[in-house]
Amino acid sequence: MSQKKERSQKAEKVIERMGQKLNRQIVGSLTACVHCGMCTESCHYVLANPGDPTYAPAYKADKIRKLFKRHYDWTGRVIPWWVKADSVWTEEDLEELKDTVFGKCTNCRRCTLNCPMGVDYATFNRMARGLLVSVGVQPEGVAVVSKDQWELGNQMGVLKEDYLDTLEWMEEELQDELEDPSVAIPVDKSDCTVMYAINPREVKYDPRSIADAAKIFHAAGESWTMPSEGWDQTNFGLFSGDDALGGSVARRLYEKVIELNASRLVISECGHGYRSTRCEGPNWAAFDIPFEMESSVLTMLRYIREGRIKVDKSRNTQLVTFHDSCNNARSCGLFEEPRELLNLVCENFQEMYPNRAENYCCTGGGGAMSMSEYTPNRLKSGVVKADQLKETGAEVVVTSCHNCVDGLSDVIRHYELGIEVTQLVNLVANALVIEEKIVVPVEEVVPVEEVVPVEEVVPVEEVVPVEEVVPVEEVPVEVAVEEVPVEVAGGEVPEVVSADAMSLAGRVIVVADDEPDQVEFLATVLEDHGATIYRAATGDEALELARREKPDLLTLDLHMPGRDVGEVFEMLREDPELEELKVCVITGRPELRKLIYDRSVRPPEGYLDKPVDEERLLLNVRKILELAD
Amino acid sequence: MSEFLHFSEHTLQEVAIAWLVTVYIIRVIWFLRFKPGGDRQPATGAADTTPRRGIFYSWGNIFMPWAMESTRRNLLMWITFGIFHVGVTASIALSLIIPYGPGLLESAFVVTLFQILIGTAFLIGVTRIIRRAGGKYMRALSSPDDYFSLILLTVWFFFAFLSVPNQTTNGETHLLTYFLLTAFFLMYVPFSKISHYLYYPFTRYYLGKTLGHRGVYPVQRG
Repeated sequence: MSQKKERSQKAEKVIERMGQKLNRQIVGSLTACVHCGMCTESCHYVLANPGDPTYAPAYKADKIRKLFKRHYDWTGRVIPWWVKADSVWTEEDLEELKDTVFGKCTNCRRCTLNCPMGVDYATFNRMARGLLVSVGVQPEGVAVVSKDQWELGNQMGVLKEDYLDTLEWMEEELQDELEDPSVAIPVDKSDCTVMYAINPREVKYDPRSIADAAKIFHAAGESWTMPSEGWDQTNFGLFSGDDALGGSVARRLYEKVIELNASRLVISECGHGYRSTRCEGPNWAAFDIPFEMESSVLTMLRYIREGRIKVDKSRNTQLVTFHDSCNNARSCGLFEEPRELLNLVCENFQEMYPNRAENYCCTGGGGAMSMSEYTPNRLKSGVVKADQLKETGAEVVVTSCHNCVDGLSDVIRHYELGIEVTQLVNLVANALVIEEKIVVPVEEVVPVEEVVPVEEVVPVEEVVPVEEVVPVEEVPVEVAVEEVPVEVAGGEVPEVVSADAMSLAGRVIVVADDEPDQVEFLATVLEDHGATIYRAATGDEALELARREKPDLLTLDLHMPGRDVGEVFEMLREDPELEELKVCVITGRPELRKLIYDRSVRPPEGYLDKPVDEERLLLNVRKILELAD
Repeated sequence: MSEFLHFSEHTLQEVAIAWLVTVYIIRVIWFLRFKPGGDRQPATGAADTTPRRGIFYSWGNIFMPWAMESTRRNLLMWITFGIFHVGVTASIALSLIIPYGPGLLESAFVVTLFQILIGTAFLIGVTRIIRRAGGKYMRALSSPDDYFSLILLTVWFFFAFLSVPNQTTNGETHLLTYFLLTAFFLMYVPFSKISHYLYYPFTRYYLGKTLGHRGVYPVQRG
């Protein structure tokens, strides 16, 4: 007697919910495939895994299609084996499906554009992800990030105070850089033309891009603001297939624009953020948008076209190439504007082939950067992108997507290409021509006797009036601001702000990394700025040095021989004598973040992706040590 | 002409076509019962790309081998694909010409033309069977229906090729087999992969509409 097969509750729900997700576009895609195999070579996973048909888009699609055929199509219901229709029964079946839809596809949509039948595999792959997520079957990273976005409103779990603190920090950096205290990063300012929304990665790992954008808005004389809430333009709903999350995140952003009465939402450079906010969000949130939305790429280009900012392309002389983000190019048609902008701000632009809607994925799409269990496979598939990059001969690859920055950085590191990754906002900011201004700071004062002898104080009439901004060309060259002592009421004069104010003198820092070159670089930069450095090549050495020297800061590589670095970190955190110790993770393997962030101890104070440049290192170290306040 | 051949050419074909049309109507109704899926987003991309343009581009995509990398890089595959489908059209047309317009086949030119088209399609069918059964990737993708449909069409081409002259001097087995296969083919199509051409206009319509609205279609290359 045959025994009836029992289906798990989760599997039952997946099948049932599939029916609710089906629409004509998806049904068409599920029924129209003829298994012609034309899509096969369009996938970077296939090209990187020759001879393994399980990566072929049609093969992967059939893992989902078989369910549709078995439960919703007629031939598959009657004679399933004839059309390879099948069902899911157990948790293992769902796990296997998970590995296909999350681990073997980045939803880049390249196969869709190469299918003669117009089968949109990426769209129904996303649907399958959503079905699995709805029953709790998902990569751990997807669950963590989704939770953060649901609960904290941004996908990296950035706290409101950290976000605002970063904006303030960048505002100060910018004021220092432009020597203009009037430069501001406005927050929650009503009735502005532009509300600027960013990727939380910018707060956590790349705050310089916020300052660069602010610099551009400032130079353009834009009326703009950033919101204190609802500032995350990214949307993990796109990756997880969870439309409810997608709708909620998008709505949060849209409602903030309306609340602040801004007339335009500008989305910082991020492929999936742009697609989610600009294209998919209104559908997920069932929201009719009463304001304009645009990528910051278009904003910057418009400023140049309208003459609101001036750029000097001779400031960007390196040979650059451009990587099209899949979401921008293949799903939103954003590919000509970045090129136009690049040509305006760079001297040497070399096209990458194939490009635009035919470009290959950076390997970090579809949320792949958060799924560490699939990292080896992802990096293997990166050989396609590595070959593409190598052929350009470029020194710098530019992309308008934060995911791509991470994805490309990983590929470049893994294949040792030695190419720098940057974004358009950085290049535009670098090329920006700003009329320099000199301003006399008034906030910080020191006693007269500590600054200049009374007899050297210049007469009042020769003194630059307090708060008066003087264009550079009107000031004699020899009157540099540091050389102008200023008398103010009460017999006090403003402090001369020098580079020494940011010195690391007296600070003790342990640099822990197993790469000698990296240790040497970090140590040299920090020593040059006055810090006392101790070097560690293993987790145990770092632990020992930290306990012995009681440093102010420990820079910690996540991958070192010996004791697990996560364990070392936890031991440091739990040591009552090291309560004051600040930790900055510096890693070339972002997938190892979970070693640290999954622990129930205080997270590190800073995080930097390798390769680290001097400027970024110093900015972050000063911030962590609160020297930048 | 035997009574059975006459039946196969006329009544059987008419029943088979009626069956095909009926099942297809049911199938289209089934398809249209799914929600269309809207798009609230304001258009993106270049101003001259619209949903309408995207739809036409999408429909015409298959006739533009340069439009997709997959066809551009496999031009021979695209050409054989074209001939194969022209062969299908010619073989279907033949099933109507023989019973309802046999006079057309008195022209040696028409006969030769049909035989070249159908004969070439047959040869392509043979190569496709080899490709499907012999290639690791294709084998992994294929279902019994894929093999059966391809073999069915190839055998059908063979008998269509023999039937083009519409001659019964050496017996009518070839004609009879051709018409029986045609009837079976028409009745089997709605349940097999061969029905893809029914979905093609819909799938391409929705994809073209979305990608046209978003400025991706027509695809730009640099």
